[in-house]
Amino acid sequence: MTKNNNDYVTHDCDHYDSHRLNHLNKRKYGDEADVCIVGAGAAGGVLAYELSKAGFKVVVIEAGPFWNPQTDFASDELAMESLAWNDTRLVAGSDPLSMGHNNSGRGVGGGTVHFTGVFYRFHESDFKVKTQDGVADDWPISYQDLEPYYEKIEKDIAVSGPKHFPWGPFQGPYPYPEREPISANSQIFRMGCEKLGLRSVVAPLAILSAPFDGRPPCINRGFCNQGCKPNAKFSTLIHHIPKAIKHGAEVLSDCMVTQVNVDKSGKVTGVTFVHDKKEYFQKAKVVILSNFCIETPRLLLHSACPQFPDGLANSSGMVGKELMTHVGHDVYCKFHDEVRIYKGTPVLAATQEFYETDQSRGFVRGYTLNAHGSRPLGLSQNLVSKADIWGQKLYDIMRDFNFFAQITLVGEVLPNINNLVTLSDEKDEYGMPRPIVKFSYGENDNKLIAHGIKSSQEILGAMGGEPAFVIPDTGHLMGTCRMGNDPSTSVVDGFCRSHDIPNLYICSASVFVTGGGCNPTETVMAIAARTADHIIEEAHKGESN
Amino acid sequence: MQEIRTRYPKYDVLKEQEHWDEHTREIVKKRLGPFPKNNFLSDHEADMILSIAMHIVYDNRKDILDYVVHHMDTTISSPIGEDQRKVGTPEQKTLIRQGLKAIDKLAQQQYNASFLEIDPNQQLSLLEDLQKGKAQQLKDWQQIPQKELFKKLATNIVSAYYSHPIVWSEIGYGGPAYPRGYVRVEKGLTDPWEAKRDDKE
Repeated sequence: MTKNNNDYVTHDCDHYDSHRLNHLNKRKYGDEADVCIVGAGAAGGVLAYELSKAGFKVVVIEAGPFWNPQTDFASDELAMESLAWNDTRLVAGSDPLSMGHNNSGRGVGGGTVHFTGVFYRFHESDFKVKTQDGVADDWPISYQDLEPYYEKIEKDIAVSGPKHFPWGPFQGPYPYPEREPISANSQIFRMGCEKLGLRSVVAPLAILSAPFDGRPPCINRGFCNQGCKPNAKFSTLIHHIPKAIKHGAEVLSDCMVTQVNVDKSGKVTGVTFVHDKKEYFQKAKVVILSNFCIETPRLLLHSACPQFPDGLANSSGMVGKELMTHVGHDVYCKFHDEVRIYKGTPVLAATQEFYETDQSRGFVRGYTLNAHGSRPLGLSQNLVSKADIWGQKLYDIMRDFNFFAQITLVGEVLPNINNLVTLSDEKDEYGMPRPIVKFSYGENDNKLIAHGIKSSQEILGAMGGEPAFVIPDTGHLMGTCRMGNDPSTSVVDGFCRSHDIPNLYICSASVFVTGGGCNPTETVMAIAARTADHIIEEAHKGESN
Repeated sequence: MQEIRTRYPKYDVLKEQEHWDEHTREIVKKRLGPFPKNNFLSDHEADMILSIAMHIVYDNRKDILDYVVHHMDTTISSPIGEDQRKVGTPEQKTLIRQGLKAIDKLAQQQYNASFLEIDPNQQLSLLEDLQKGKAQQLKDWQQIPQKELFKKLATNIVSAYYSHPIVWSEIGYGGPAYPRGYVRVEKGLTDPWEAKRDDKE
């Protein structure tokens, strides 16, 4: 087999010719960058923007393509599976995770290109789970540390949301008005909540409710997870990255980083990357890994060298450990009248009435319920691959596609040392070992799942929905390079700087200590903005010394 | 196999294609065929995929299933990864090629005929066993995990089937909506061009 030639994946596309040199030997900061960011997703985009704006020479290296929404995106689920990180990951554990489109992106914008746009702040309790509930660990930072950054990010991208948000320390209002109208599925959800005396809101979203920054409001096309063609939904692809380029940043897309290089003094010198089968080196004063929860530990472990035989930044042994996801069960009920869950923004209503620990429920922590839309491919694929429903039963369900309402749980999964990312013996197209991603739910998680399913069925039941089926799903990834004050039990400090290597940062959901009970993107971006501020301050300190 | 059941017999989503953006239209129309010769699958393998697909999606219309087979062939031929694969499961090319051989052996062992020769009820019962991981003993199952084989085949088949515009019309799915979007999204409302029920109870 001519494996080397045929297995090489190229999804090359580069629509920003004026901003990227075709010859990688003539790069803008080929001699040396101040900061090299690996991964142009939620965190990488924010870091690139903030740091280039502050005058740093920034290079962003992204494994996937530089998408153009107008020509690359389509209103089609199957075709847009290409937005995901499709590279094979080996999965294990008693609840092996579904990867790809379910939780990771490839290409400039990363996961923000296909996320649902649901935009929550964490609550105060999320940062002190150990103190509060006696499980997991506290973060080295508090809600108050992130608060100004939450506010900044919401303003920067004009988050739409309710005037009053009844849970957690932030009570609203959001910078932009809440979305209106909301879909039938979300209306049913809100009416069901009201009947049960539960408060609900129109979901806070990184989707425009009115024009902003040259972008139009949402037209309810409904393909948020397939890439937003009208650019009404925020992504770092259309917001932070183009602005960063204007501030001087260089984005190297279709470039896969295969190694973080260190010198004899134990400091990072830059990264090695591959483009069109050729290897290049990018020298940098500071390297930030924003390549998310699987690729970051994979790269750190793969970059092992004589000084760091167990991988970089891994003196604690915690690199790759405590991988978390969210419980993401989809609960469906059938109605007499059409609901048509394909219409409009997928999530337009939510409740956090079950967010905080309530001892009477028999488990700690909690969850958010999002009224959630679906499309034929997503639903049928989940039914067959996650719920073992096929043949006539699948046919019967799908013929009634328009008669189901759906609620999706976003429930907290407690960190567990046995849920982890390690390296396998199998090599990928770049010669890097494929990761093994091992995940199993714990007892508390399973109790939370059962409770969340029941609450969802009660809400839809109050509106006359009959429980139809439940798809055991997950959403999001967090952890594997957790932050902490103690270098023996954590990988990075509260500013995402690695304990072991002073000029190496890790900034993504990878640093989460616990997962919270809601969609994590806003917290990722707030952490990134705070890390950017820290790097800017550190540089100023250096100058004045 | 069965009568095609739809609540929207008059709806044809393809009639809306002039309102779709060009990129989307091009992608969706390709699913109507004709399809190029298979790249990876042999004729026998392609026939097996088609028969398996009839059971998975409970539909035997060849025009739609030809696309399903084509999609399977495209997926296996592509160097792009498979998102995830369980530890101990071979790469999808091997899983499917060896898996189809094992399915044929299984049919021989149980019914003294190849999978394509046994009757549909026997085929169905064989697939049900695979899905549960309870098919009869075969040496092949050591390399080919039954459940993973079933899941790989079924997921790929279903993905293509529910991406076919004829199926969209039957389930009343409005489909692509750019640049016009959906305007009437609230309870009980539909845009004028969306599927309307003919069987209102």
